[in-house]
Amino acid sequence: MPSRVVLGLGLVVLVLFCASVAVGYAPLDLGAAFGDLLAGRQSLSALVLSELRLPRAILGGAVGFSLGITGAALQGLMRNPLADPGVVGVSGAAALGAVIAFYFGFSASFALALPLGGLMGAAAATAVLLALAARGAGTVMLILAGVALSSLAGALTALALNLAPSPYAALELVFWLMGSLADRSLVHVALALPFMAVGWVLVLATGPALDALTLGEDAAESLGFPLRRVRLLVIGGTAAAVGASVAVAGAIGFVGLVVPHLVRPLVGHRPGRLLAASGLAGAALTLGADIVVRLVPTRPELQLGVVTALIGAPFFLFLLARLRGVES
Amino acid sequence: MLAALLACASAGAQEPRVPLHARPRVVSLNLCTDELALRLADPGQVLSVTHLARDPLASNVADRAREVPVNRGLAEEVVPLKPDLVLVGAYTTRTATAVLRRLGFEVLELGDPQTLEEAYAQIRMVAERLGVPERGAAMVRQMEEAFARLPPVAGPRPTAVVLRPNGFTTGRGSLADELMEKAGLSNLAARLPTDKMGQLALEEIVRAAPDLVVVNAEETAPPSLADALLHHPALAPFKDRTLALPLRLWTCAGPDLAEAAVLLAAARARLSGPESRRLAAGSAHHAAAEGAR
Repeated sequence: MPSRVVLGLGLVVLVLFCASVAVGYAPLDLGAAFGDLLAGRQSLSALVLSELRLPRAILGGAVGFSLGITGAALQGLMRNPLADPGVVGVSGAAALGAVIAFYFGFSASFALALPLGGLMGAAAATAVLLALAARGAGTVMLILAGVALSSLAGALTALALNLAPSPYAALELVFWLMGSLADRSLVHVALALPFMAVGWVLVLATGPALDALTLGEDAAESLGFPLRRVRLLVIGGTAAAVGASVAVAGAIGFVGLVVPHLVRPLVGHRPGRLLAASGLAGAALTLGADIVVRLVPTRPELQLGVVTALIGAPFFLFLLARLRGVES
Repeated sequence: MLAALLACASAGAQEPRVPLHARPRVVSLNLCTDELALRLADPGQVLSVTHLARDPLASNVADRAREVPVNRGLAEEVVPLKPDLVLVGAYTTRTATAVLRRLGFEVLELGDPQTLEEAYAQIRMVAERLGVPERGAAMVRQMEEAFARLPPVAGPRPTAVVLRPNGFTTGRGSLADELMEKAGLSNLAARLPTDKMGQLALEEIVRAAPDLVVVNAEETAPPSLADALLHHPALAPFKDRTLALPLRLWTCAGPDLAEAAVLLAAARARLSGPESRRLAAGSAHHAAAEGAR
C-alpha cells in the first residue's frame, strides 16, 4: 500500500515538474528547446531551458522534498505535531548562516561556504531543540523555544544584512525570510543538491527507529534503536537538507508543517513510512506554489514563502485548535 | 525637549537674512544634490553632504566629499548647522524634509530629470540658488559640447538593453533612454512591456537577444543577490557584447551623463567594427535557429 502512495505522489511530482519547466515569462517551444539542448546547439531556447527553467524546477522539487522529509522526521522524533523546520527556527538559523557566508564575501572566495553556512546554522538550531526535547520538554515548551529561536535568528539576520557592505543587502531580507526560486541557476543546484541528498539519506535511515519510537523511548532503546544515534542522524540530516535548501532558496515556511499531516493518513500513521511520502508531497507543494508565483501577474515576483504561508498559516491555526481539543 | 528644539530653530530662522553678496550655506540630504552642491558651490559653502557621497562606488564626487562633514539624512543633524538652504531629493528623506519645512528652513526639493533639457534646467536652477549662476551655465555648456562631440549616428542602430541590480532596466522616457538614443543605440526595453524603471525577467532578456547588454555593475561591488543576478550563467553567452557601465555615471543628472554617452557610443562603434561581423553572424545563427521552428 505505502509503495502505491509513494508511486502516486511521485507521479504528481513528475507532472508538476514538467509544468514548472513549461511555465515562464517568455514563450518557449519546449520540444525545440530540448532538441537543441540534447544536440548541443547553443540556441536561445536551449539557454532559457538549461540555465533558467530546469534549475528552477529541480530546486523546487529538491527544496520541497527536503522540507517535507525533515518536517516528518522532526514531528516523529519530537512526537510533536507542530514541529517544522520553519516553525521551530531551523530555517531561520540556516538563513542566518547563509547570509553571513554570502554577504561578507566568504562564498565569493569559496563557493561551498554558502551551503556550509546554512548547514551550520541549521545544525546549531536543531541541536538546541533536540537537547530541549531530550530533557522532556513538552509540545508547548518546544514550540515556544522554536519561536524564540526563530525571532533571534530573524533579528540577527536583519542585523547582519544591515552591517553587510552592499547597499542592496538590507532590502534582501525578504528573500531570506520568505524564500524564492527566482533566477536560480545550475550553479545553485550543484552547490545544494549533494548536501540535500546526504541529508535525505541520513533522515531516511531513521525510519525504523521512528516507528519504534511510537512505542516510547524505553521501548525503542530495548528494540535496538539507541536514541542518541537517532537524534544525531536527524540533526545531521535536517542540517544538511534544510541548510542547503535555505542557502539557495531562502526560508520557505510551513511546507514541513502541512505536508506530513496531509500524508499521514495515507501511510497508516507510520512515521517511518511517512518520511519518503512526506518528502514527495513537499516537493509537489513547493513546485505547485512556485508555479503559482509565476502565474500571478505581479512584478517583482511574489516570494514563494508568501504562497506557502497563505496555505500553511491557516492550517497551523487549525492544528492548534484541534490540539487544544485533544489536550482538554 | 521638543519645545526647546523648536525655539532654538525658530530663533535660527529669525536671524537677520544674510547679505545678498554672501552665498547661502547649504546642507544636502540626497546623493544627487550632494554632487551638484559639491561641484557648483564654494568649498566652505557646503556644510554637510550624505555619507553616500563618500562611497566611490555610488558617488562621482567621493574625493571632494571627504573634505566635508557627512550626515545620514536626519533632521536633527541639519538643525544645529543652521543652513540657509537644504537640498533634498523628491523621493528620499521625506520625514526629515517635512520636519525641516515645519521648522522654517528653506528647502529646495529636486526631482529626477527625465530628459537632458530637464537636467540642464535643474543644474541652472540649483546654481542660481547657490548664488553661482555662471558655474551652472558653464557646466551645462560643457555637457552640451561633450554631447556634440559624439560620433554621428549612421547606419542601423544596434539593439541594447540596460540591466541593473535586481533586474531593473531603463525603458522609454528615461534619461538613460535618451543617452542610448544619442549614442546610436536602440533601447530594447523601450519595446518590451515595461515602464520607465521596469523589471525584466532574465528569460525576457535572453529571448530578446540584444546586440549589446549594458550592465550597471561594478566588478568590485560587495556581494548581494541584486548583483548576483547580473552574473547569472544565462547571461554568459552575451559576455563578448556586454558593456560594464558604472551605475553612478547616470544615477544623477550631472556632467557624468556625457561620459556615460561616450562609453555607450564607443561600445556601439566596437559592435559595428571588425568584431561585429562575427557577432552579427552569431545573431543571424540565433535568428536562423529560432526561425527554423
